[in-house]
Amino acid sequence: MAGGLALTRRGVMRGLLVSVVGMALAPVVAASRPSGRRHPRDLSFDEVYRGRHIFGTKSGSDGRAAFTGGAWQVTVDGRPLHLMRRADGSYLSMVDHYESYPTPLEAARAAVDELGPAEQLRAMDGGADGGRGTGTRRNGTEGGGHHHGVHP
Amino acid sequence: MVYTRKDVSTLTSAERRRFVTAMLEVKRRGEYDEFVRRHIDYYVSDGDGGLRTAHMAPSFLPWHRCFLLDLEQALQRVDPGVSVPYWDWTRDRTRTSAPWTKDLLGGDGRSSDRQVMTGPFAYAQGKWRIKEGVTDGDFLMREFGRPRKPIQLPTRAELKAALEDPVYDTAPYDSTTTRGFRNRLEGWGHGTGNATWENHNRVHRWVGGHMLGGASVNDPAFWLHHAFVDLQWTRWQRKHKGARYLPERPPGSRDSQYRRIVARHEKMPPWGVTPASMEDHSHIYRYA
Repeated sequence: MAGGLALTRRGVMRGLLVSVVGMALAPVVAASRPSGRRHPRDLSFDEVYRGRHIFGTKSGSDGRAAFTGGAWQVTVDGRPLHLMRRADGSYLSMVDHYESYPTPLEAARAAVDELGPAEQLRAMDGGADGGRGTGTRRNGTEGGGHHHGVHP
Repeated sequence: MVYTRKDVSTLTSAERRRFVTAMLEVKRRGEYDEFVRRHIDYYVSDGDGGLRTAHMAPSFLPWHRCFLLDLEQALQRVDPGVSVPYWDWTRDRTRTSAPWTKDLLGGDGRSSDRQVMTGPFAYAQGKWRIKEGVTDGDFLMREFGRPRKPIQLPTRAELKAALEDPVYDTAPYDSTTTRGFRNRLEGWGHGTGNATWENHNRVHRWVGGHMLGGASVNDPAFWLHHAFVDLQWTRWQRKHKGARYLPERPPGSRDSQYRRIVARHEKMPPWGVTPASMEDHSHIYRYA
């Protein structure tokens, strides 16, 4: 199987980026919503929503940006919120994984809606755990002893 | 020896106690958090690149079947008589019904911080500390029915609509697929509002808290929910005799799904088994 081609989740998270291929297809909802400072050109956002500082920007520093149209970097109170893209152009966040939203801003707000008063995002891919899940999970070695399947 | 997975509402008090004890021991041994991590690692969304196995893909069902079997093996290393019960959310629909009792999974989270305060998985019991969360809390969280914007569990009719689809899955085999049993059960919809997530997805949403996020495996309810989802695959096969997992063959190199999904006879990571080999579980376990 094409396991080696697959991106690991944490591999994606490491960059905290989400590709915006097809961004043009995403509804321009952000621009029509009341919020704080925004930059209409790239739909970046920087606002306080329900007491949380949510910030999102389309990064152009990635080498692939010229081809993909850039990537999103989103934070809640300064901590990275990992976003994923659905094939229909909508966004899922790590906090709210079973529902998607038309824009990164709405995904970020939905994530805030799910946070308790004292709850903060965890830096899931930071330092101590940094080496975990870097692709070895996909090379077929993990689970090598798990041939229960139909041959228990 | 073929073992039985039972409806959680029918478990005896001894069966409940043994299931809970085995879960807590798997957690104590450090094995449980590896399940949480693996589920996070394999959540690849269809708008991003790469091979999808666990979600938004035809192998949603065999992937979770293998995942359940791994957990069940871990439980059985503790107590060979334990299996994962299933939660029939079309029947047990209230916040106090099975499996939300004090001798099983405990109940809803409290309103202030969604912390589960009852049952063996409550933080104060000292045996269920969240280590692999999306957020920094170390207690299990639930928020039944999303009080802020109330929703209901999927109904029997909604589940039946999925079961009646005679085709396993259809192109493009992702979350935008509108026909086929797999996505009708997995529950990715279109547009906005409640209709955008059905059956499997909606149950994650209804339980809320940890069950809603990437680290949903932290809630032991994950397994009871997925055992019921797994049962639906069996029911679907029974209903549509001869119907098989699709696609039968891998998409070609010009297909948008080339190398992004697992065809029926391809090996599925991380287990290296094929979906075809996971279609029949009758020699491993059965459902009562």
